[in-house]
Amino acid sequence: MSAILVSNQKIGASEITVLTFDLPGEKVNKLSTPVMTELKDHLEKIKTSGTAFVIFKSAKPKIFIAGADIEEIQKLTTKEQVETAVKQGQDIFNMIEDLPMPTMALINGACAGGGCELILSCDYRIATEDSSTRIGLPETQLGILPGFGGSIRLPRVVGLQASLDVILAGKLLNAKKAQKIGLVDYVVHSNLIESFAASQIEKMIKDGSKKRRKKFQPKGLVNKLLEGIFKGVVFSKAKEGVMKATKGHYPAPLAALEVVKKTYGMSDRTKALEIEREHFKVLALTDVSKNLIHVFYLTEMVKKQSGVANALVKGKPVKHLGVLGAGTMGGGIAYVAADKGIDVRVKDISYEANAKALKHARDLWAKLAKKKVIDNYQFTQKMSLVSTTVDFSGFKNIDVTVEAIVEMMDVKQKVIAQTAAEMRNDAIIVTNTSSLSVTEMSKGHPRPEFFAGMHFFSPVHKMPLVEVIRGSASSDETIATVFELAKKMGKMPVVVKDGPGFLVNRLLLPYMAEAAFLLAEGMSVETVDKAFVYKFGMPMGPFELMDSVGIDVCVKVLNIFKKAFSDRVEMPPLMEKLEKNKTRLGQKTNLGFYKYENGRKTEVDQSIYAELGLSSPTNPLSEEECRERCVFAMVNEAALALDQDKIVETPNEVDLAMIMGTGFPPFRGGLLKYADSVGADYIVQRLEKYSTERKANRLKPTSKMKERAQAKAKFYN
Amino acid sequence: MSTQQKLPTDVVIVEGVRTPFAKSGTKLKTVHAAQLGQAALKELIARTNLNVDLVDEVIIGNTGSPSDAVNIARVVALNSGIPQKTSAVTVHRNCASALESITSGYERIKSGTMEMVIAGGTENMSQMPLLMPPAITSIIERLGSAKTGGAKISALWDWFKADLSQIKEMATTAPLQKTKYKPIITLAEGLTDPFVGMNMGMTAEVIAKEFNISRREQDEYALKSHQKAIAAKAKLAEELTPFYLPPNYTETITEDSGPREGQTIEALTKLKPFFDKNTGSITAGNSCPITDGAAMVLLMSRAKADALGYKPIARIRGYAFAGLEPERMGMGPAYSTPIALKRAGITMKDVGLVELNEAFAAQVMANQKAFDSDAFGQKIGLPGKIGELRTDILNVNGGAIALGHPVGATGTRLVLTLMKEMRRRNIEFGLATLCIGGGQGGSIIIENEG
Repeated sequence: MSAILVSNQKIGASEITVLTFDLPGEKVNKLSTPVMTELKDHLEKIKTSGTAFVIFKSAKPKIFIAGADIEEIQKLTTKEQVETAVKQGQDIFNMIEDLPMPTMALINGACAGGGCELILSCDYRIATEDSSTRIGLPETQLGILPGFGGSIRLPRVVGLQASLDVILAGKLLNAKKAQKIGLVDYVVHSNLIESFAASQIEKMIKDGSKKRRKKFQPKGLVNKLLEGIFKGVVFSKAKEGVMKATKGHYPAPLAALEVVKKTYGMSDRTKALEIEREHFKVLALTDVSKNLIHVFYLTEMVKKQSGVANALVKGKPVKHLGVLGAGTMGGGIAYVAADKGIDVRVKDISYEANAKALKHARDLWAKLAKKKVIDNYQFTQKMSLVSTTVDFSGFKNIDVTVEAIVEMMDVKQKVIAQTAAEMRNDAIIVTNTSSLSVTEMSKGHPRPEFFAGMHFFSPVHKMPLVEVIRGSASSDETIATVFELAKKMGKMPVVVKDGPGFLVNRLLLPYMAEAAFLLAEGMSVETVDKAFVYKFGMPMGPFELMDSVGIDVCVKVLNIFKKAFSDRVEMPPLMEKLEKNKTRLGQKTNLGFYKYENGRKTEVDQSIYAELGLSSPTNPLSEEECRERCVFAMVNEAALALDQDKIVETPNEVDLAMIMGTGFPPFRGGLLKYADSVGADYIVQRLEKYSTERKANRLKPTSKMKERAQAKAKFYN
Repeated sequence: MSTQQKLPTDVVIVEGVRTPFAKSGTKLKTVHAAQLGQAALKELIARTNLNVDLVDEVIIGNTGSPSDAVNIARVVALNSGIPQKTSAVTVHRNCASALESITSGYERIKSGTMEMVIAGGTENMSQMPLLMPPAITSIIERLGSAKTGGAKISALWDWFKADLSQIKEMATTAPLQKTKYKPIITLAEGLTDPFVGMNMGMTAEVIAKEFNISRREQDEYALKSHQKAIAAKAKLAEELTPFYLPPNYTETITEDSGPREGQTIEALTKLKPFFDKNTGSITAGNSCPITDGAAMVLLMSRAKADALGYKPIARIRGYAFAGLEPERMGMGPAYSTPIALKRAGITMKDVGLVELNEAFAAQVMANQKAFDSDAFGQKIGLPGKIGELRTDILNVNGGAIALGHPVGATGTRLVLTLMKEMRRRNIEFGLATLCIGGGQGGSIIIENEG
């Protein structure tokens, strides 16, 4: 079946050719090898057809071309394969550029990656103002770079500064922004695009205008200098930006930058494309790229899931959300829900408490308004969605209530019973508990099938993960509703079974506790944290993380674990000590391992060692040991959570949850991808060593970890 | 005669709620009238667990017509979560705009056209704008249409000169005096009768003098208003929703700011007459302050309320608006009330509780005299007096002198306060009435639903 329809059309007295992309049986157009081959055949014929003009468009609603086929990229394993695939793409887009007649792309809907590279090889580009129209080059997000000439053509068309913004961040632009930077020539209503294009083409043919190779013309002296003799400044600034954002863990943006730097202004197209290809080849075969594509698939997986196995069960729509507790979590949840258009009613016991939630949400939107991400009208609309109460007024209208009050089982059970009585019989209550048993808590609900866990991570507006916790009585419909709600709130839900710490905290707590043991053994806070941030790629080190979670919370959860997993969990004595001294609980008390000012970290508090009765840190352990003990502690526990307790079904969920909930470096593909890359036998061997050398029972390999090592089994098959 | 069978076509008030009222230029001065309305309406929806899809229309009184929300009812409705399909209209009958919203809703439901209406009012008098006078706008127009550089420079120069004149006038003339270049104070214009050119305060002076109401009497009345409002704080709290003050929310307004705990007769006596400096008796202390606030009520047909399981607070029995001389506008209640009573099929004797808006103490007291006067009754075509307006049933929780008078919202506040107090006291009939700038009176009779 054909993916590209070729038709002829009369404009005035001239005959023009229209290529319409319409991949059979798919919602989107992709530039897979068969499609590219077909395109090549058409182009060969058109080249000598004598047609006056060529139009490229799509028959799909809201999609132009979504990009290359990612599956194909993932399967490339040798340099030769990459060379062939990329060279073929470059050649075909060269053919478009070299057609003797002028060409135009009509863009309605997503136009990403290869799609964007295709329109860049056309002479003219017209886009619709439809909100689905998004144009850009997201390749660096997948660890590669635009390889079909995009790295060469975009800078030529829109200039150095704009093109680096697009390529390095890998973000898509809306039509308005695309027109502003000169990526498209016109933006029109989708009903008018064909007739507008026809009138433009008629005029062009009449005027005898032929091909053009659009070249960016900078406006204003500063821009002229920056695009010209001072372009070095632009490159070094861009590199600085990339390094700051990626700490050097992501080679793709750096390579893309290198390509642009080497080829910008180069007149020899063949040579420029060769440079692009060379860099692409290196990137496409890196683990980083494979891992990022893996993560991309994980997020796609969630989009398709409903949270339950039964495909017939559908979640109920949630228009009104209740939030109990106006603290940091409650306020954050209210913000995230209202931001996506859900009406939210926050209930706490005092006006002062409620005011905090309102301020929390307002401040976040005010920031967006200041940055012009939203306008003042959107600001007012969003703010209008949040209301508060000190009683249960309005709760009969609420579809789902999230409980985010104090972490005490008896209080929670009581409040849940109270709330259930104030809500409709078909309404759902979820708990945002991070450590208490959802099943146990559901005993407070008169209809426990309408109860589940919905665990957000702090800060709620930043962390994408939501653990949807299935209590023993939770119904499929409840889980599907909560899963759908999380997605509507722009979050990444992962369904987990009830159990101490659920999934993420169960893995994270041993990691943080291990760091505390390192401290006791003479390591310094900054050495350990820096190793994790700069070497391993975590967004923050374990000590900063403990500060952000709250040391009291860590101790509380660890105590729960100690009870549940007495065979392996140890409480670091220094954490207990810190918890007893209520003034050093982390960010919330402005003092933890670090000092804080206005909520911002300033520096490590050097007095902490003396306070804990430790001598000045001498850093006797290698960075490798620090890293391995903390990370392998997580893998060790993950093996039990996955293989024995079946908290989640597959390693996919573990990795997605760790990336979205803790910022585990995406370029490593997730905790278990990383474990696979080092090997179970190595991990077991190191754990044995550390548990013996450091007399640390907690680091002994777990039974499931040993099984894997013996079987040399990877988490991913 | 007064009892009437309960009918499915009756129009009932299910619930009501308002924001705290704050003296203009104080706590609520930065809050847009639409936001005030929204706070009240969202809370009304919550307290009634209302299915907003069933609302047929939102009718909101407002007199300031903020230029960025000209049909403010629509803005309030959408930001409160009322669906887009639901129509919304802003009504303006000056001081009775919010009463107009209730009577409009009453008519729509009574006629069977609609089943459920949200009626209310919102006003931010702090934000009534200053306008450029024509002497300056004409220069700006010239500037806008100037084709040549020379014409532009000439217009700018004239503007500059006009600005200098404006500054000079500001410095040398009385604050409220109108001049060629000074900005037009819309609030002052709004409080000036457009037919006879008399300030509202001056119309009160007319009444005070004609009805021989002394300064002392007025001040004593004003003091009472504060004392009653202070004593009723807990009761008034029941009709309030707290207002969280953006942008920092460091303050949550939970009560009306007007009532003064320590108000004394001495303090009131010290004030100078504001309008008639020599022979006048109307002061800032015995008049209502300009105020910001909003109030909303939920109206339904009895049939709808029954079907949805709501227990109404009151039934609307009848209403009337009537006109009189603009310069005696304060007497409006005495004109509209007898008509409303007649339409409701009751007499003044049946009325157990009254909310008469305290625009001015003198005006309230003059109405009391008129109500009890055979001569006045005959003057307006009645066989005798309207009936005594007893002090012990009048504004029992204080009135606008203490609480304030956000012009477009007061009508709803009167009905809301009245119906809640009727329920507390188990009173059968209540009257809410107010005088209306421009020379009208408005009255509504409601019946306790138990």
